[in-house]
Amino acid sequence: MDETEAVLIRRCQAGEKEAFEPIVRKYAGRATGAAAVLLGCPQEAQDASQEAFVRAWRHIERFRTDAPFYPWYSAILRNICRSRLRRRARRKTVSLPDGYAAPTSDGDPVMLAEQNERRRHLFQAILSLQSMFREILLMKHFQDMSYKEMAEALDIPIGTVMSRLHNARRALGEALSGDES
Amino acid sequence: MSCDAFNRMASAYLDGELADDDRRRFEDHLAACDACRQELAELKRLTEDLDMMQFKEPGDEELARYWSGVYNRLERGLGWILFSVGAILTLCYGAFRIIENLIRDETVSNVLKVGVCALIAGLVVLFVSLLRERLVVRKVDRYSKEVDR
Repeated sequence: MDETEAVLIRRCQAGEKEAFEPIVRKYAGRATGAAAVLLGCPQEAQDASQEAFVRAWRHIERFRTDAPFYPWYSAILRNICRSRLRRRARRKTVSLPDGYAAPTSDGDPVMLAEQNERRRHLFQAILSLQSMFREILLMKHFQDMSYKEMAEALDIPIGTVMSRLHNARRALGEALSGDES
Repeated sequence: MSCDAFNRMASAYLDGELADDDRRRFEDHLAACDACRQELAELKRLTEDLDMMQFKEPGDEELARYWSGVYNRLERGLGWILFSVGAILTLCYGAFRIIENLIRDETVSNVLKVGVCALIAGLVVLFVSLLRERLVVRKVDRYSKEVDR
């Protein structure tokens, strides 16, 4: 973690809410994007990522300032998104598939830095995958995690990471070719 | 190496995550199999596209709204805690007084007194059971430990 962030975290640990603002601002974009991928639903992403910041704040005294903030926050966010997906599955009143691809209307929030038709299409295809595939693609391609880091975060063997990631990419390839045909 | 085994290793090969021995065997197979080369090329294209994707950074106005949303929730959190503590204390005290009066009232039948006591005991058992269940779930849920790093 850079020094400025460590200082901010220590101020947060002393109860200064204002010190939390630069941290939230720094990570808001990627947090909302990550929540969109994890939930398969951009419309719910901001709410989930904000909830994760609130939970991070409530447990900030347990955070070690020698470790980077975002991986810790990201684990909290994954936890929240999993809970929301479980609740969504329990409700079963709305017949959304596991991965819910949002309609591509003009008001649709696509959270990519550089957009073109192909990337929008790719993003929508990611959102249509099942949750465990979205999760592993997010870790690898948006968070640049190694297989070892993913295995630790997901508490699964590296071999499982390898096969899950491969299956996710194949499923994505199929989703893309299905859309094109 | 069979094409099936090759398929399972293709992603790890592209990500540079194969051990040296596996990588060499993989490349030997690749040199001899047109179909697998074709498949790897497609997978590589997809992986490169994925690697190019990044989430956009919100503008200042959006960030201000976002922070305001987080801040409001932080403030409300304290409000909810105080409200809940107050509500629990008030309800417990009220319930205690009502039950006390009911039990001391000689005009109320014993059946009703026993019924009310059973009702209260049942509620306590249910509450403890739910509380224990939540604590056990929290203990075995690996994600609940993420905040403890």
